[in-house]
Amino acid sequence: MGLKKRNKVSPQFNMASLTDMIFLLLIFFILNSAVVAPSSLNLKLPGTSRSTVKANSKTPDVRVNKSGRFYLDGKRITSFDLESRLAKMAGNSRDPMSLTISPEENTPIKHVAFIMNIAMKYEINAILAAED
Amino acid sequence: MASLTDVIFLLLIFFVLTSKLVKLSPFELPESDSKTVAPVSVVIEIGEDGQYKYNGEAKSIRGLEVAIRAQKKNLGNPDDFTITIAAYKEIPYERIVDVIQLAGRMRVRAILATQPIQES
Repeated sequence: MGLKKRNKVSPQFNMASLTDMIFLLLIFFILNSAVVAPSSLNLKLPGTSRSTVKANSKTPDVRVNKSGRFYLDGKRITSFDLESRLAKMAGNSRDPMSLTISPEENTPIKHVAFIMNIAMKYEINAILAAED
Repeated sequence: MASLTDVIFLLLIFFVLTSKLVKLSPFELPESDSKTVAPVSVVIEIGEDGQYKYNGEAKSIRGLEVAIRAQKKNLGNPDDFTITIAAYKEIPYERIVDVIQLAGRMRVRAILATQPIQES
């Protein structure tokens, strides 16, 4: 019978497609390695800080407790309102504003970092109150 | 073409390996919008167990001070010396304050490593 074998698999190996794939992976890993580097919050330490912090009697005090409840000058405030209130205060004051962060004992660092982050965004000097 | 593939393959392997090495810490860091890149020369890790780790070794706060003072002597420029604190996000802040005070005593800069805020 005159049956012909169709769909012959060609034994040729195409280098170009391999290069394409490797190139794609290469770009993926280059971008990935740049993204992985962590970002950070700069801490100004007493004694090393060169910035002048003006002492002001009206420094707002932000308290935070273990479960992540925020209190601005003694009044309970949501995290969202805290940010808008502080942004407003920073916008109104002409001098660089300061605030004190007074966390309760054993407060997770993420809540403290949350306040530090707001301070960083609006260029507020945050002072972390700590006991010895 | 074969030589091009060789070069790309080499670069690929290089980036695969470095992308694993760069990872600062295997735990979740506090979140911030900061875009400052943390220097990774001197990293103090505080893992989920609350232990201080420096170069992968568990240390006390005293041990940390000794190790970092030695490191500071080895590095030339003291102005660029920065301690990066990589702390698990649920760690009580007092543990971090101890490291901050250590950095204050040694008159070096300290930086708190964070990760980008994850929208949920």
